[in-house]
Amino acid sequence: MSICELRGVSKTYGSGAVEVHAVRNVSLSIEVGEFTAFVGPSGSGKTTLLNQVGCLDTPSAGEVLIQGRGTGDLGDKQLAALRASEIGFIFQSFNLIPVLTASENVELALSLAGESGGKQRAVELLDQVGLEGLANRRPNQLSGGQQQRVAIARALVKKPSLVIADEPTANLDSANGEAVLDLMRQLNQDLGVTFLFSTHDPMVMKHATRIVTLHDGEVVSDERKET
Amino acid sequence: MSLFTLALRNLFRAKRRVVLSSAAIVVGVFYLIIGQSFIGGMNESIVRSAEDGLTGHLLLRPADYPKFGAAYPVDVLLTLTPDARTLLAGEATAWTERQIFSVTASSSGDSLRLRGIGYDPVRDPSVFSRQVWEVDGVIPETAEQGVLLTSGAARLLELKAGDSVVLQARTHKGAINALEVPIAGLVTTTNMAIDRTSVYVPQALTRDLIRSELPSHIGVKLAHRDEAFGFGDRLLAAQGSTAEVLTWFDETKDLLRMQEIRSKALNMLVAVLMLMSSLAIANTILMAAHERTREIGTLRAMGMTKARVLALFLTEGGLMGVGAGLLGAVLGGGGAYYLSLNPVNLANFAGNGMGDQLQFSSWLYGEFSWPIVLIPVLVSIVVAVLASIYPARVASKMVVAEAVRAE
Ligand SMILES: Nc1ncnc2c1ncn2[C@@H]1O[C@H](COP(=O)(O)OP(=O)(O)OP(=O)(O)O)[C@@H](O)[C@H]1O
Ligand SMILES: [Mg+2]
Repeated sequence: MSICELRGVSKTYGSGAVEVHAVRNVSLSIEVGEFTAFVGPSGSGKTTLLNQVGCLDTPSAGEVLIQGRGTGDLGDKQLAALRASEIGFIFQSFNLIPVLTASENVELALSLAGESGGKQRAVELLDQVGLEGLANRRPNQLSGGQQQRVAIARALVKKPSLVIADEPTANLDSANGEAVLDLMRQLNQDLGVTFLFSTHDPMVMKHATRIVTLHDGEVVSDERKET
Repeated sequence: MSLFTLALRNLFRAKRRVVLSSAAIVVGVFYLIIGQSFIGGMNESIVRSAEDGLTGHLLLRPADYPKFGAAYPVDVLLTLTPDARTLLAGEATAWTERQIFSVTASSSGDSLRLRGIGYDPVRDPSVFSRQVWEVDGVIPETAEQGVLLTSGAARLLELKAGDSVVLQARTHKGAINALEVPIAGLVTTTNMAIDRTSVYVPQALTRDLIRSELPSHIGVKLAHRDEAFGFGDRLLAAQGSTAEVLTWFDETKDLLRMQEIRSKALNMLVAVLMLMSSLAIANTILMAAHERTREIGTLRAMGMTKARVLALFLTEGGLMGVGAGLLGAVLGGGGAYYLSLNPVNLANFAGNGMGDQLQFSSWLYGEFSWPIVLIPVLVSIVVAVLASIYPARVASKMVVAEAVRAE
């Protein structure tokens, strides 16, 4: 089943002489359980495309469907609700809320998704991503690798249908990057969570079940690996 | 994780900046409370001084009585009509006759023109309260005991209790009359219009001096000062056009109007302070919104709506108003409460002669009341929330895709 489908999506920044076609007429479909990597040179449109998939931005042309439903005419409230319950985000710079502890960051995601019973589920999930005993630390008391694990727990706690990660290992050293990737791959296999990355990291590509290559905003290849 | 907790933590994170930018609100609230407390206290003191000093709740006196200056004629006196007498007996809480007359007091060499207050020893205190009087000696009740001289006048004449003084006045018919009388006591009434300018003379002695039993004034006390206006009209109707009525309000309205101007000036000053602090708060919240761009983007990506982001920043601004307002209220309210129990004596600051014409007590109490304390807190909350609207809108309108990747 398709979790997310792009139909002829384009994104153009600016207009006239300074017009940038960041994404050009991309159509593709993300299936349940996939571990997909968007690769391509810098400026090829990976981040822009992820923004469209994650409903953080609206396409200039084309349509984004999440679980078969079009998102083009949703308002701020409905888009927010969609992101809150269906889509988890992991960022290159971790993006934890600095005034909240690790477990509170995770709880916040749950409460925004309108679910209760936060604290216990947050701590359980933090244990599961290898952060036993660190639940009450603030982000500035955690290493980069630990922060990204909190971010993974935060993205997963609401059981989203899709987790989007834009260069999740770019700010980590190779050992930490690999550990974080192993964790995501494991969660993908154990829990069946669908992941969608952008990356320059060959490590990520090695783990991916599907690699979509972009160039100048266009999909130039789309390969599925047999697992 | 409530919006409120998040807002509180964010404020705590930037506490130094928050404290600095809301300091003006603390000062404004403090200043407003203390100022209004003093003005309120002064208003009460002005009214009380009139009530307890020379006017009572209201005064009946001969028509066309001189309004200004130190002339206290006794050529025309009052004869109460039976109707007026019935009304007073039936509805006034208390009433008393006074003979107010011009008198020259002389000691060896010095002489001083004073206001003589001829009083009924029994009934006078029930209309004109002596609660705050300080008396050195005794309050005379008979002609033989002599007079009660105000302390300011005694100082000018270099007299003390037990000395004697020569009083010279015109009789009802205009002849000159003089008596040497003992000084039974000295009094400080704390009413600045009385303390240097008057001598209290018991009724029997006054009658010897002005040679008439008729009063020049009837002082009236009612159940409540607000009844003075209605009662005054009826008393005048009963007495007829030979008399006029002066209420505590007639006597104090000029001073009270000055107080209103003072109050407006204070409010304007505080409004300027509040405006300044609203700019400081707006600036602080705007800085916070920019600094926290990535955080705002993240919250939006996690599913927070624009409206909730707006509410978050308004809450942060509002909390600054609550905190600063409450701190100012505790300081100002504490000060006002203290001043309501421990008055300041203006006589300690006033130069010689100042205040002779001012009918209010030299003891200045602060007024303490909940509206005086709580209204400024509400004002500061409203100011802080209004100041946060613009920065909160900036925060809520950020483009999510860009905000999540901001540095
Ligand atoms: N907000 C924007 N305004 C104008 N142009 C933009 C904006 N965001 C991206 N672009 C342009 O769109 C193109 C695609 O950018 P995008 O960030 O999607 O690339 P990317 O593949 O993620 O690159 P990288 O690997 O460096 O992250 C680039 O040419 C970029 O300059
Ligand atoms: Mg990118």
